[in-house]
Amino acid sequence: MKPRRHIRVAVDIGGTFTDLEFVDEDTGEAHSFKTPTTPDDPSIGLVNTITGAAARHGFALADITLLIHGTTIATNAVLTRNLPRCALITTAGFEDVLEIGRHARRDVYGLRPEERTVLTARRHRYGVAERIGARGEVLAPLDMAALDGVVDRVAEAGADVVAVSLLNGFVNPAHEIAIRERLRERLPQLPCTCSHEVSPEIREFERTSTTVLNALLMPVVQGYVAGLMRRTREAGLAAPIYLVQSNGGAATPVQAGQTPVNLLLSGPSGGVLAAEKVAAVTARRHVVAVDMGGTSYDIAIIRDGRRSVVAQGDVDGLPVRVPMVEMRTIGAGGGSIIWLDPAGRLQLGPQSAGARPGPVCYRRGGVEPTVTDVNLILGRLDAASFLGGELALDLDGARASLQRRIAEPLGLTIDAAASGVLSIVVARLAGAIKLSLFERGLDPRDFALMSFGGAGGLHAVDVAEELGMREVVFPREPSTFSAHGILQSDIVHDLARTRIVALGPANLPQIVAVADELRDEGSALLDADGLPPERRALRLAADLRYRGQAFELMVPIGEGELDEVALADLIERFHQTHLERFSFDDRQEVVELVTLRLSAVGRLAVAAPISGTGGGSRSAPHPKASRAIYLEKRWRDAPVFEQSSLAVGAIIKGPAIVEQPYTTLIINGGWSLTVLASGDLVAAKDDA
Amino acid sequence: MLRPDPILLEIVSHALVSVAEEMSITVWRTSRSTTVRELLDYSTAVFDAEGRNIAQAARMPVHLNSMELCLQEILARHLPLESWREGDVVVTNDPYSGGQHLPDFIAFKPVFADGRRVAITCVLIHHVDVGGGAAGGYNARAVEIFQEGVRLPPVRIVREGVLQDDLLATILHNVREPAMFRGDFLSQLAALEVGARSLRTLAARYGVSTLLTIGDALLDHAETAMRSAIGALPDGVYAAEDFVDGDGLEEGRKRIAVTLTIAGDQLAVDFTGTSAQAAGPINATLATTRSAVYYAAIAASNLAAAANSGCYRPINITAPEGSLVNAAFPAPVSMRMLTGHRVATAVLRAFAQAAPDRVPASYYGVTFNHAVNIRHGDGRRQVYFDSEIGGWGAHPEADGPSGFSAGFHNQQNTPIEMIEAIYPLSFTRYGFLVDSGGAGRRRGGLGLVREWRFTAERGLLNASFDGFVSRPYGLAGGERGRAGRLSVTRDGHVTELPAKTIGHELRAGDVVRMETPGGGGFGPPSERSAAAIADDLADGLITASGHGAKVAAQK
Repeated sequence: MKPRRHIRVAVDIGGTFTDLEFVDEDTGEAHSFKTPTTPDDPSIGLVNTITGAAARHGFALADITLLIHGTTIATNAVLTRNLPRCALITTAGFEDVLEIGRHARRDVYGLRPEERTVLTARRHRYGVAERIGARGEVLAPLDMAALDGVVDRVAEAGADVVAVSLLNGFVNPAHEIAIRERLRERLPQLPCTCSHEVSPEIREFERTSTTVLNALLMPVVQGYVAGLMRRTREAGLAAPIYLVQSNGGAATPVQAGQTPVNLLLSGPSGGVLAAEKVAAVTARRHVVAVDMGGTSYDIAIIRDGRRSVVAQGDVDGLPVRVPMVEMRTIGAGGGSIIWLDPAGRLQLGPQSAGARPGPVCYRRGGVEPTVTDVNLILGRLDAASFLGGELALDLDGARASLQRRIAEPLGLTIDAAASGVLSIVVARLAGAIKLSLFERGLDPRDFALMSFGGAGGLHAVDVAEELGMREVVFPREPSTFSAHGILQSDIVHDLARTRIVALGPANLPQIVAVADELRDEGSALLDADGLPPERRALRLAADLRYRGQAFELMVPIGEGELDEVALADLIERFHQTHLERFSFDDRQEVVELVTLRLSAVGRLAVAAPISGTGGGSRSAPHPKASRAIYLEKRWRDAPVFEQSSLAVGAIIKGPAIVEQPYTTLIINGGWSLTVLASGDLVAAKDDA
Repeated sequence: MLRPDPILLEIVSHALVSVAEEMSITVWRTSRSTTVRELLDYSTAVFDAEGRNIAQAARMPVHLNSMELCLQEILARHLPLESWREGDVVVTNDPYSGGQHLPDFIAFKPVFADGRRVAITCVLIHHVDVGGGAAGGYNARAVEIFQEGVRLPPVRIVREGVLQDDLLATILHNVREPAMFRGDFLSQLAALEVGARSLRTLAARYGVSTLLTIGDALLDHAETAMRSAIGALPDGVYAAEDFVDGDGLEEGRKRIAVTLTIAGDQLAVDFTGTSAQAAGPINATLATTRSAVYYAAIAASNLAAAANSGCYRPINITAPEGSLVNAAFPAPVSMRMLTGHRVATAVLRAFAQAAPDRVPASYYGVTFNHAVNIRHGDGRRQVYFDSEIGGWGAHPEADGPSGFSAGFHNQQNTPIEMIEAIYPLSFTRYGFLVDSGGAGRRRGGLGLVREWRFTAERGLLNASFDGFVSRPYGLAGGERGRAGRLSVTRDGHVTELPAKTIGHELRAGDVVRMETPGGGGFGPPSERSAAAIADDLADGLITASGHGAKVAAQK
């Protein structure tokens, strides 16, 4: 009998493929695997990919010690409105807060009503007489008789779930708790969620919206998790299962079922986790990670080796106030359409040809030129080897379309039009990165770019050049990149308490008390996860602002005792951060604490370092071919390499083209590409 | 003249909008008052070296489309461009120097690269208080501008990088919330510099000459787009009117009369026939009127390009001097937005005749600005300023959304929890006003009820409201939306207050209630489908005895 192995598995379920990566914890050997996604029940595809990988690589499902899983189940349910019926119980007189929202327009010159997403119809929003004041005082007691009337109506309405969100419920949750208790007594089968548990932060609309989303997703995620557990157990997998949350941390299925709103960015956060890991492996501390696909360009920032997390994001125009990986998305991808507006000005997107009809060169009926068509025209993509030769591209069609729709009307040659479009693409991508960094007061020149996604490699070096960045990292295996990141995630519980007080010695006892409360709560959660003390970390941070500001800056608090010295240091670091991000500080003004945050981190089993599996010879790199490419305003021949043929330590001088199975990397002249020991590639600008 | 090629034009124009957005983000994240940071009552823009608006952040058209007029006034009559030095900041809030009303401080900063002026950045912020006869700036009894607060002519508040402390101190000495004013003003200065920094980077990247020549190309492009949008509308003369309730001092409504003439790709907008300027503070200066016309024209013509001042070129505005829409010094103007909205709704109503498939019935047509001058028991003072909006007009193809901002002043609400954390107010209600949407085949959006209990010892309530008499019009047989209302309840006794209220005394326990107008309906109410009525009844947006009964009776 073979000795038992210890296999840790990560699965990322995307729209088309279910990706898996596993590592043998004893040997450090890692492999990836792909099977088609099964949209009706994604857990079927998950089991398929695990059994497939096990068969291919000779391990038993019983050998699996840990399964970590990124899912878009929550996001898809929201986007497709495949949601149950939710009743909302709120403070009487404020039933419409959820629908009024912040009532601003997105399109200021629009005259049509803008679509307003209201996930709970007015008829299912119920007010109950009660009132908590801004300092947590009870202004009006909870009217239990009225509550019973509301509970009757909730039952009659046939609600599947209930959300409870009361004004100032985040300061004093007593009434929310009492309502939940009453619901449990009278309607024990009905799932219920309260705002103080999901998003205990000021601003009633954002908190209520988050709470309602959480309630709506409970049956969705709980149902999914139950199916997942059943299927994996039936298949013989006994290992603990974790789900990746929007903050990049993992959660148990039970927690995920209780706070499913934390899963809304589960999918994309896998890519950011992977970027974080590759940043560590390649020893790059500050990285801008960009994922360019067919329709969009996602930007995330890694600073000092850690992903940047924000307190609020949005899904489909709805605010979601829970910590999530900070990500900026713009509508620019390979499928973005290039067009002339009625006044004759060249425009890029935001419309995308997507996969259907797709770019003109896909021969699927697309007629408008896209970014992919332009890359083909300029020789950056190869008509014969696209997607490993699976799709033969139509160069003539692409040229004809660009000629007729863009080059002729503008009086440009086709080369000038195509390379012009390319510079617009690069400027747009670089501009979005610049804005992301600007918001944090950061300078692109301090960062390396990390590029992945189907279209990223075509533009990454140009974008880096535009921003004055000197390095571009291309991960070894971009096509299962998210699974790679998920494989190494940790458990993270994010806790928060809003207490608006001046940050000074007088309020220190109160602040310390809240911090202790958070630490106790975080420790209890890690206890429940069964994590030993040596694998735990409790990270405290404070959201601070100048008195009167609406926005806070998150400043980490050190691990040590929170005393007067630590407090003074915290205030000083806030001034510094404010100066850095907004070009001024105001030392005359009081610094206020708004929210204390705790990340309770539990490191999952420590894996051996993951080593590259890429083969390739150690001999000097040898191009498989050469092709004409338009670079720096002229046509020239550039060597074409296959990534799989590149050995560790190989160096390629630009201009050069490197083909990965699903992507192409363009290395400009004046840049050199090196293959690192990890198998990842780094393009660096040559010293002048 | 040398022009940037089409590629460079596209790249730089996008970069310029990004600069305006960076400035906007800076104000948003660093400002202090709820007015700026929650209501978002501010705007940012970029001008070329000659002072022409070439890029705007997507904020408030009422601000954005008035900035160029203000800058041109300053250059022509106060501080010629040759005198602007690197590091200067010029600021004014004077309605008679191209501004609109005193709370709006408009600041400009010239940007230099290689020793040449290449651009000008602009940040406009509505400040919480500017002194004068009423906290928050809305003095309903003012009959001259001198009673409305501190008035700053165009001056250099920063000279070659040095903040003029004595001048700032003078302003702060004259306003009720000096710390808040100072914080918001520092945020304004920071945003101007953030924009300048990015523009210097652009100059280095794309060349000074590109920035110097791009203005013409951008403005020409917007002009061409605007002409093509106007040209797509049928030629004709379209007349319309709308009304402001009154100025709170004189009897009777004030009329806004407009005649639109569309001839080819030209648009003439003539306000002849409009009421003479009012004694009270509802007057609009040309800056307000123009921005309202530009907003309405850009929206109604379905312009397919980023807005800049090139859009204004095909539009010729005639506003008789001394009228409500072009008031003469020293008329009071603090409530100019009440007239500004009705200029927009009147122009839209005229456009509805030219583009009946696109233009909705009237929106609420008023900004419900209000302020309380608070006196706490311990002597501490505070100014609470806030604003509310109402229902949007029904569109030919859809019901009007309830409680939804017009793009003209695109403002957010202030979260109740944020207000209660800062001010002595305890809200008792915030929701839709049932039965307030205008009946029609498409129903107008509902107005809002906002109701709070005052909990400090004493306060003085000021309100700059309208639409208590003049209700939002319907179109194509749709009915008007319901009127607005303001009342105070003390010890169970309800007192109705006028739309223009100043210094109404509040005591602890008083409950202030405001109701904002609903939007107008579109099409005959008798054509409303039974399913839509049933839905409205089930959601409690209409009642069987109120709105629903009226619709049923017409069937």
